[in-house]
Amino acid sequence: MQNEPLLSVKNLTVDLLTAKSALRPVDGVSYAIRQGQCLAIVGESGSGKTVMNFAPLGLMPTGVTTNLSGSVRFEGQELIGLSEPEVRKLRGKSIGFIFQDPMSALNPVRRIGRQIAEMAELHLNMSPRAAEARALDLVKLVGISDPAARLSQYPHELSGGLRQRIVIAIALAGEPKLLIADEPTTALDVTVQAQILRLLKDLQQRLNMAMVLITHDMGVVAGAADNIVVMYAARAAECGPVDKVLVNPRHPYTRGLINAIPRRDDPIGSEFRGLPGVPPTLGAPIQGCAFAPRCEFAVAACTRARPPMVPTADSNVCVACPVVNQGKAAA
Amino acid sequence: MVHFISKRLQQSLILLFLASVVCFTLVVSAPGNVAVLIAELRGAVATPGYVEQVAEEIGLNKPLLMRYVDWFGDAVSGDFGISYRTGQDVSADLAARMSITGTLIAGSAIIATLLSLALGFLGALWPYKLPDRVSRGLALLGASTPTFFVGALMIYAFSVHFQLLPSFGFSGPETWVLPWLTVAVLPAAVLSRVVRIGLEEAMSSPFVLTAKSKGLSRTAILFRDALPNITPLFINALGTQVGLMTATAIIVEPLFSWQGLGDYFLAGVRFRDFMVVQACLLIFLTFFILVNLIVDLAVLLTDPRIRRQWS
Repeated sequence: MQNEPLLSVKNLTVDLLTAKSALRPVDGVSYAIRQGQCLAIVGESGSGKTVMNFAPLGLMPTGVTTNLSGSVRFEGQELIGLSEPEVRKLRGKSIGFIFQDPMSALNPVRRIGRQIAEMAELHLNMSPRAAEARALDLVKLVGISDPAARLSQYPHELSGGLRQRIVIAIALAGEPKLLIADEPTTALDVTVQAQILRLLKDLQQRLNMAMVLITHDMGVVAGAADNIVVMYAARAAECGPVDKVLVNPRHPYTRGLINAIPRRDDPIGSEFRGLPGVPPTLGAPIQGCAFAPRCEFAVAACTRARPPMVPTADSNVCVACPVVNQGKAAA
Repeated sequence: MVHFISKRLQQSLILLFLASVVCFTLVVSAPGNVAVLIAELRGAVATPGYVEQVAEEIGLNKPLLMRYVDWFGDAVSGDFGISYRTGQDVSADLAARMSITGTLIAGSAIIATLLSLALGFLGALWPYKLPDRVSRGLALLGASTPTFFVGALMIYAFSVHFQLLPSFGFSGPETWVLPWLTVAVLPAAVLSRVVRIGLEEAMSSPFVLTAKSKGLSRTAILFRDALPNITPLFINALGTQVGLMTATAIIVEPLFSWQGLGDYFLAGVRFRDFMVVQACLLIFLTFFILVNLIVDLAVLLTDPRIRRQWS
């Protein structure tokens, strides 16, 4: 706790303004990650986990205006309010990205070798020849067979798992300190998912990088992450060390999520345990706790004011729930 | 690759044969009796007897199928017959005129390519800003102005008003500039939109997000990632435009007093000189088919996904 975290996000709010509508996909979320650690950000589709990580780094589709408030500090540098050319200097060099769908993340008409090597040229000031050599090393590093031949191939000639390894090689090419992986295994076969996850975890530890793992797969979280942030409807519901949050979830939403995972001793043919109701639509302002309408423990206080994120009895775990934190606010 | 080329060549030959049938049918079914015209041209009084004699002489009385076989058989071996009007060898005329039209189309194609890429990138580099609006305005103007009017404007502006370039003749590069520009305006306008819209579409692909995450600037992404992706699309569109340039040549060559194929074709039509018209049509169609063949090969070379299907 003595040194400053690599990435520290405080009270981040993101507003998206398109031609037709205004949305708030991220609403006052805070978290931090230290060097060499892996933080999992978990939430269902549309809970804002991707926007939260991409918007401060300028990775939004064109035509969308983002409005950021709060604070995002990377290595002590404030990212909010930074100009696009300055944020661009961080992308690829200090922060590497891995995307959900490797089938579309690579340029279909450029050779794989070039797509990796241009990173080394851009960020490590390498000559084209040195960069090609580095690309070869990277392809070996991510465990691809016949590396030299791969460099002259095109993306459509590789399988999904291999392409994701190439995307990882690209992310690593600039020697980043932080890796942001946006559902890196979602689009892959189940058997390949485990390989890619193991590779990512292994590289993260070997290269002593920090990693933000955006996912909705609790199995991925348990296998790879040190800490976890659970998102619900643009807000953080619970955060803390993975071993504590997964074993002893406190927030009713986290409990529901973990309870929904099928268990080995479930009788065959039994129904899945889902959470009742549907998540709120983005855009409508929410009074109080966003989860209250679906929550079996909800009390009157839940809908009155937005619950603050406060430490629970275990001070490492924070929960935004008035029921869990009952009596603590007064103390 | 070899398989692809041989297959496309076969298709082209079949297409060429069908095109020759269409050429012949079109010309034969045109109104007017050519024998009468020839008789008049020879200064003789076109009495029915003399007309009949002329018709017999040039083979008009043979069955249509025989006439086609005669003509096509000779054409394949490079003999397009004798012009009814001038009595000269059509093949020799074609050979002399082809280089002129070739100069026109080649120069115009290069200018249209450069101009359209410049205009398209101007728009893509500053989307929805002033340069984009200027580029779109120019494209609209260029695409909606008739070519004969563009030519007249060119002559008025550069030859009459500023007296920079000659307005007619085919004698050295300075006489080529105005016809080149005139022919290039319409394709450049159309192609600039292809470039602009293609780039915009490419820039919204998921791989552009990857490119952004690499730390590349928007300009670098446009040239490195988006441009290679629109190249096959651009080559296709360019091929169509170049193919259509033969039609533009018919308008532009007489305007600048160029004695190319377009001029020859027009003269042939005017005098119902069937031999010339047929020959020109066949040359134009061959050119069109050839351009399409080259386009297919070029697309094959620029798009690795298509290349793979055929390897």
